[in-house]
Amino acid sequence: MAEPTATISRPQRWDVPFDEKMDAATVDGILGIAPFSRIDAANFPKSTPLRDILLNDTSLRSFRKGEVIVREGDYGNSAFFIIRGSVKVTLGKDAIPAALLGRRETHKKNLLETIGQLWRNPLFPEVRDTARYQAARSAKSRADTAPPIPNGSRSPISRKADTKQTAVFLSDIPAVLKGGTVTLGAGLFFGEIAALGRTPRTATIFAEEPSELLEIRWQGLRELRLRAPEIKQFVDTNYRKYSLENHLRETEYFKDLTPEELKLVADQTRFETYGGFDWHTDYKKNKDINPVERLRGEPVIAEQGQYANGLILIRAGFARLSQKYNHGERTVSYLARGQMFGFEEIAHNWRAKDSVSLRHTLRALGYVDVLVVPTSVVEQYVLPKIAAARLPALIETKSEPENLASPLEQVSGKLPTDFVEFLVDNRFINGRATMLIDLERCTRCDDCVRACAAGHDNNPRFVRHGQQLGSYMVATACMHCLDPVCMIGCPTGAISRDSAGGQVVINDITCIGCSTCANSCPYNNIQMVEIRDARGEQLLDQEKKPVTKAAKCDLCLEQPAGPACVRACPHDALTRLNIRDTETLAAWLQR
Amino acid sequence: MAATLTSYTRRRILAVCMLTIVAVVVWTWQRRLAISLHPTAMATGLALITTCILLAVFNSRKKLPFLPLLRAATWTQFHIYAGWFSVLLFLLHTGFRLPNGSFETLLASVFALVALSGVFGLYLSRSLPARLTRHGENVIYERIPALRAKLQREVEALVLKSVEETKSSTIADFYAARLKAYFDRPRNFFYYLARNDTPLKNVLGEIRLLERYTNDREHAILAELTECLQAKENLDFQWAGQGLLKYWLFVHIPLTASLLLLGALHGLIALYYVGGIR
Repeated sequence: MAEPTATISRPQRWDVPFDEKMDAATVDGILGIAPFSRIDAANFPKSTPLRDILLNDTSLRSFRKGEVIVREGDYGNSAFFIIRGSVKVTLGKDAIPAALLGRRETHKKNLLETIGQLWRNPLFPEVRDTARYQAARSAKSRADTAPPIPNGSRSPISRKADTKQTAVFLSDIPAVLKGGTVTLGAGLFFGEIAALGRTPRTATIFAEEPSELLEIRWQGLRELRLRAPEIKQFVDTNYRKYSLENHLRETEYFKDLTPEELKLVADQTRFETYGGFDWHTDYKKNKDINPVERLRGEPVIAEQGQYANGLILIRAGFARLSQKYNHGERTVSYLARGQMFGFEEIAHNWRAKDSVSLRHTLRALGYVDVLVVPTSVVEQYVLPKIAAARLPALIETKSEPENLASPLEQVSGKLPTDFVEFLVDNRFINGRATMLIDLERCTRCDDCVRACAAGHDNNPRFVRHGQQLGSYMVATACMHCLDPVCMIGCPTGAISRDSAGGQVVINDITCIGCSTCANSCPYNNIQMVEIRDARGEQLLDQEKKPVTKAAKCDLCLEQPAGPACVRACPHDALTRLNIRDTETLAAWLQR
Repeated sequence: MAATLTSYTRRRILAVCMLTIVAVVVWTWQRRLAISLHPTAMATGLALITTCILLAVFNSRKKLPFLPLLRAATWTQFHIYAGWFSVLLFLLHTGFRLPNGSFETLLASVFALVALSGVFGLYLSRSLPARLTRHGENVIYERIPALRAKLQREVEALVLKSVEETKSSTIADFYAARLKAYFDRPRNFFYYLARNDTPLKNVLGEIRLLERYTNDREHAILAELTECLQAKENLDFQWAGQGLLKYWLFVHIPLTASLLLLGALHGLIALYYVGGIR
């Protein structure tokens, strides 16, 4: 008789729920509140039923008066629904001094700890202190055996919300607030833009009174928006009512509008979404296709030659700005969150006797979320408020058009066209700290690699190899993306953004080595490494399989001197750059 | 005009200006000492050994990448210009004369070798990277043996396929006679350094000669073989170029260590004879 083989159950999406204390009774309570009560459960597939989404992707939380719920600038992975109480949204940038927000600072090594690495670094690669894993497991089992929280009856939901999380309070709110606030009451959502767009929170929000909130992690919110049009409509209506004005107020040309005018503008602003949210899977599939076909596959948001119907504000995602060139199209630039399209044309048509059409085509690169302010609204409310000196120069319609210049022409201070095409086609525009290597200066000495290994468990966190254009290489190193799709699907939340700097970091303790992040990264910048104990012995699980962890560049967050790779390069060949900062990038290329 | 200069050019002009000023100051100082009948050898010797130590510290800095000790690129710039400055100090120290004692001759020779190997390394690091980049696919040095072995397996499979499919031994014979040794290990190191592609041209010429003895199928296989030869040529070029960029330091650094030792000994002897350590 054949020996039975050991089998394990395949890991599933909800093996680790967002909140282990959520139960069926709590879900029933949530389903009794609008807009959840209006959702038709039949619209959800059997694999992801509505009840399971609420059970596994939500958490009930309560906040005391003055307690900070989200902080401006933090990266969040969830949205909130107010069940009871009210919250206050701060208006304006840095409305609350950073020192009062209790932001956790990443531990940086001091000089002694830094020097101590010389003898403390283990001899073997990827050595881990196994006691730390043990300690984390013991802490979890203690929490699991803790007595249950007694039920209360103050809210529509019977279970009492979790209050055990570390909290930051604003004690004297009127004194610490620099700007105004907007109050959001029960039955409203907030935080969904940052959660779905993997972008920083745009405002600090704190509890105005003792409040009970339903926190929904973005995976669940996405399902709800997809399957329940009521929720999508509800969220969008709420956004228009409470957040859009705030968003517009922070846009350069809308600053001087009165609150009444801003409201009128917001009322007529359209929401549009292009492309798929999980763009990385399509990107991987279509990576090697012909550039013309790739361009055809990108949804057009606005086309060159058409009348500028509205001012387009990018709310999330990336867009390609292209221009016709003979029989093809060349990429002129790329836009991302916070940038706008069509303003120069609208401003020109408003002031000049002649009119110009759009000079570029705007295409969605993956998922793009835009706001469209109709031209008539811009002309009526926005343009009259802008001083003539701040308006863009009139477009020269009679001179030689820009699009007749050769794409191979090098213009000082500007990125060469081929380089822009390279960055956009390979989606390197996503990079906030992209490792660029000038191969005409790089002597292949590998000092950068050794420096990286010295600071990271004797194993470099990047490969000095990658996509190349001419003499420039984008190395296989984490770019700390603007849209870090590697976070999608991490079952434990081990991969996340550092709340202060936004660097994408991996928590080694909570990483279970499932490889989801490594498979999701479109650039293959995350490696799975087999770990060892202090004696150099490979660590195995109960089934004698090697224990793996995800490893990637962390920009030397803990090192006092910053990224070791840049500092170690003896020939100025290597840099880390934000690809959206085209000025610095162009200056680096034309050194 | 300044706007048209690259930052590298501006940096170079600034560094050369600074070096010139320092050289003129040191030269003037040495002349003034000599005119006032002060012993200049002690002063220039001390300056020289100090400069040499500062130059040598660069290698230690490389071993401590996580310490906030300026960027390595800044150290390189200092190393280059301080290196040229040390040559001037050496010439001032020796009085522009050849040494006559055996120890001094040895010391001067080691200094000359360190300086020359440094200049050679600078030339390599400024000229070879561009050649490596333009030549062909960029490969990691440590991966080259594995890539070469993979390529050899592919070529051997191609040769076997030619025998099986065409029942002819023309390509197999050629492989055994000419190509096997070529694919076995890195070849033509010095040709590559001299920018000479004669070996590749020769073997491609021989492949063209074979075409008269081969049919259409074999022509196709020969075309694939040519691609493999070009890939091997790139691997060899990368091996030679990257190897040289790595291993010139294995001459420069041990020589520097010897120089520091001999220099220290020379200093002690000098101090002894001037009465400094009696």
